[in-house]
Amino acid sequence: MIERELLIANKLGLHARATAKLVQVLSGYRSNATLVAKGREVNAKSIMGVMLLAAGYGTSVVLRVDGEDEATAMEAAAALFERKFDEGG
Amino acid sequence: MRHAIPGHGASRGNALGRARVRLPHALEVAEEHIPATKVESELQRLHTAIDAVRVEMRNMRHQLHGALAHEVGEFLDIHALLLDDPELLQGLDDLVRKGLYGVDYALRLQRDRLASVFEGMDDTYFRSRVEDIDHVIGRVHAMLHKREADLRGVAGEILVTDAIAPAELSQLQSQGVLAVVTAGGSALSHSAILARSLHLPLVVGAHLALQQVNDGDVLLVDGGSGEIIVEPNAADLRAYRARLREEKRERKQLHRLRREPSRTLDDVDIKLWANAESREDVASAHAIGAAGVGLYRTEFLFLQRHELPDEDEQFRAYRDVVLGMTGRTVTIRTMDIGADKADRTGLALADEPNPALGVRGVRLSLAREAVFETQLRAILRASGYGPLRILVPMITSREEVVAVAALVKRIARDLRSQGHEIAEHVPLGAMIEVPAAAIALSSFIGAVDFISIGTNDLTQYLLAADRGNDALGDLYSPLHPAVLRLMRDVIRTAKARGKSVAVCGEMAGDPTLTPLLLALGLDELSLHPATLLEVRRTIRAQQLDALRAAAPALLRCRDRAAIERWLEQLS
Repeated sequence: MIERELLIANKLGLHARATAKLVQVLSGYRSNATLVAKGREVNAKSIMGVMLLAAGYGTSVVLRVDGEDEATAMEAAAALFERKFDEGG
Repeated sequence: MRHAIPGHGASRGNALGRARVRLPHALEVAEEHIPATKVESELQRLHTAIDAVRVEMRNMRHQLHGALAHEVGEFLDIHALLLDDPELLQGLDDLVRKGLYGVDYALRLQRDRLASVFEGMDDTYFRSRVEDIDHVIGRVHAMLHKREADLRGVAGEILVTDAIAPAELSQLQSQGVLAVVTAGGSALSHSAILARSLHLPLVVGAHLALQQVNDGDVLLVDGGSGEIIVEPNAADLRAYRARLREEKRERKQLHRLRREPSRTLDDVDIKLWANAESREDVASAHAIGAAGVGLYRTEFLFLQRHELPDEDEQFRAYRDVVLGMTGRTVTIRTMDIGADKADRTGLALADEPNPALGVRGVRLSLAREAVFETQLRAILRASGYGPLRILVPMITSREEVVAVAALVKRIARDLRSQGHEIAEHVPLGAMIEVPAAAIALSSFIGAVDFISIGTNDLTQYLLAADRGNDALGDLYSPLHPAVLRLMRDVIRTAKARGKSVAVCGEMAGDPTLTPLLLALGLDELSLHPATLLEVRRTIRAQQLDALRAAAPALLRCRDRAAIERWLEQLS
């Protein structure tokens, strides 16, 4: 199991489009993924769960990935965060 | 009792059928308990319905072509993810298994719970996500009912509702809905444009429809005039039958137009190009006698995948379009990708505060020259198989045109020295969609062979109005005096230098706007094959010199209402 703290740096935060991208990326991997923020823990492969976090700009979240392909899954997800979900701001 | 309800015609066609009224928040399901022995069969029913909705969404995604594919597709992607959502599914499962509720009621509970969380959020954006949840849960609910009683589906019925989303329309049509009546909406909305391309009768703005129509009422709907008649009498039915015969004749005539020229009454030929991005588009463009492909979108080669397409893959795709058009010219638009597109290749630059104003179109191409060079090599190689033109999106200034032209020239030389057979001259064109390029067109028109006006983006940039933002209401509309005047100037500048100019936005595909475009001086339009024959028919009924004579009056119009009046006076 690996864990990494990630910063939501796009202006709109984890809204539907960004969430959809994250869920789509993670769903391509076998590992389980959990997102922790504001004291809540949600399934990071669930668009509903992630949206319900309502994590806005500047929120720090912890992504936890567990499974055989956890390293590559984390890499892909972290890259998406770093690219601000390809939507800038 | 017979009575008429006024509305606005948004998509032509007549329909007679039973009304099916869908009130907002239709998911009113009473509490319903099931015995423990029925849990498995109840869940089975639910999952069968969910699977069916999933297939339905996938089919809808495949059916989407053209201008709406990107926007509507994005909603569909989000809806598809919601449908597969582990939280949503687990919650439903728990409600049925542990709570011993029937699936209908479980759906309602789950909907209400999720909605209450979203509705409690501060952010209006998140609050409005309830619409997405409603849509997905509503689909599953409808599917459950269709299985129980096929008669309850919208097949053979006329849907009366408050509003309709573009994504829903194509689905309703494949289910066999006869017509749609909405209490709100406008004839210029995306839904209306889509309804016209689907040939589905649509009446919008029928404010009284929800109050005055009941389930099971017989309705007569005229998508042309916008009139709705509840419980029509014998005379209405006679008139309806006459209109049907007329429609049938019209369809036949339209079909015959496949081999006819797009020529005005005063013998001027208008070039009708097709917009295309799929094999089907190209085939139908060919079948209905399009002059060629005026806009071949290449983004699909780059999106929805993790690796960039290599030169050979692209070459084969472009060559197949050229071969498919058997000698008619094909215009290939170089990649129009930006941070707003669902790009997974990492091609688009991230970290942009405003993607619409960021590194997109030719800006991205020039920033990623190796990728651009691969695409240009592939396009130029395809030019050996038939007439081909290159169209470059998002041109803002002369430097970009010069840079692309130099690149094309150098690559052509390379390819020839490597023994490739390529066309002597491959015309280079600029998309005019950035206002700066439109205003300063004379500064670079000499460096291009043709131009194509992208009215969707031009309107968005000129009016500073995001076309995807519903909150802006009718602000986004090409029927603004500024848009028309700028288009007139662009057309004049291009013609004065002997360059051909086409329009390739949604405007071009709307037959009601064809007279306006002709009046502005256009003689080339590029549009989706779905409405090409209708536009051709409209062209064949126009007197071009009269339209051009009416152009000054059009350009003097001070607002959209006046422009619409100008259009009405013509017909």
